[in-house]
Amino acid sequence: MTTKDIEVKTYIFIWLSLVVLTGVAVSVAGMDLAGWSMAVALVIAFLKSGLILLYFMHLKEEKGSRLLRWMIPGVLAILILFIGITFLDVAFR
Amino acid sequence: MLETHQNDTSSKFGMWLFLLSEILLFGGLFILYSVYRYQNPQLFHLAADALNRPLGTLNTLILLTSSLTMVLSILFLKKRNPGKTLLFLASTLFLGLFFLFIKYLEWTSKVHHGIYPNATRLLERERGEILFYGLYYSMTGLHGLHVLVGLCLLSVMFIFILKKKIDHNYVVPLENTGLYWHLVDIVWIFLFPLFYLIT
Repeated sequence: MTTKDIEVKTYIFIWLSLVVLTGVAVSVAGMDLAGWSMAVALVIAFLKSGLILLYFMHLKEEKGSRLLRWMIPGVLAILILFIGITFLDVAFR
Repeated sequence: MLETHQNDTSSKFGMWLFLLSEILLFGGLFILYSVYRYQNPQLFHLAADALNRPLGTLNTLILLTSSLTMVLSILFLKKRNPGKTLLFLASTLFLGLFFLFIKYLEWTSKVHHGIYPNATRLLERERGEILFYGLYYSMTGLHGLHVLVGLCLLSVMFIFILKKKIDHNYVVPLENTGLYWHLVDIVWIFLFPLFYLIT
C-alpha cells in the first residue's frame, strides 16, 4: 500500500468518525437528559473540531511550528476568559 | 523566465493568524448567544423547537463531506494528479452550493411564517424568542457569508489549477483555501447544536 492510499484511508476514517459523532449528538438531543444534553452536545462539537484541526487541517504534522502550537490554545484561552468574565458580570449583577 | 520566491511556511502562518481572528469574530457572537440563552432558557427552547432539525443535520453532513472532498483534492494535487484534484474540488463546490440552497429553503420558510428581524409578527412574541431569532439570522447569516466567500475562493482555485498556475510545486494557495473551508466547517459544528439541538 502506498502512502497515498494510507492517507486516503485516514481521511475517510476521520470523515466516518465525524458522521458517527453527528449521529450521536442528534440522538442524544432526542433523549431527555435535562441539563446534561447541552454538555454532551458541546463535548461532541469539541471532539469534532479537534479531529478536523488535527487531521484535515494538519495540525498533527505541524509539530515543528512551536508558535502555532501556542497560538491556537492561546486564542481559545482568550475566548474562554472573555466568556468567564462576561458570566461573572451577568450572573452576579 | 522570472525568478519566483516562495515561502510556504510564512504563507500558511499568515493564514492561521487570519483564521484565529475569525475565531474571535465568531466568538463575540457566541458570547452574546450564551448570555441571552442563560437569561431566557425556556424561550430559547421554545423558539428552537420551530427550527427544522432534519435539514440542519443534513447541512452538517454536507459540510463534513465537503471537508473530506477538500482534503482529498489537496492530496491529489500533491500526488501530481490534477484531474482528480479538479474532480474533488468541483465536488466541494457543489456541496457548498447545496448547503447554501438548503439554508435558503430554511430561511424562506421562516420568512414566509413572518419570522424575520423586525417583523411585526415576530415582535409580538416574547423578548427571548425575538433575541433567539435575531441571533439565528445574524450567526447563520455571517456563517453563510463565509461559505459564499469560500465558494468564490474554491472557484478561483479551480480556474488556477485548470490553467496550471497552481500545481504540485505550488500547493500552498489550495492548502490555505482548504484551511479556510475547514474553519467554516468548524464554526457550523458549533452553530448546529446551539441552534438545532436545544432540548
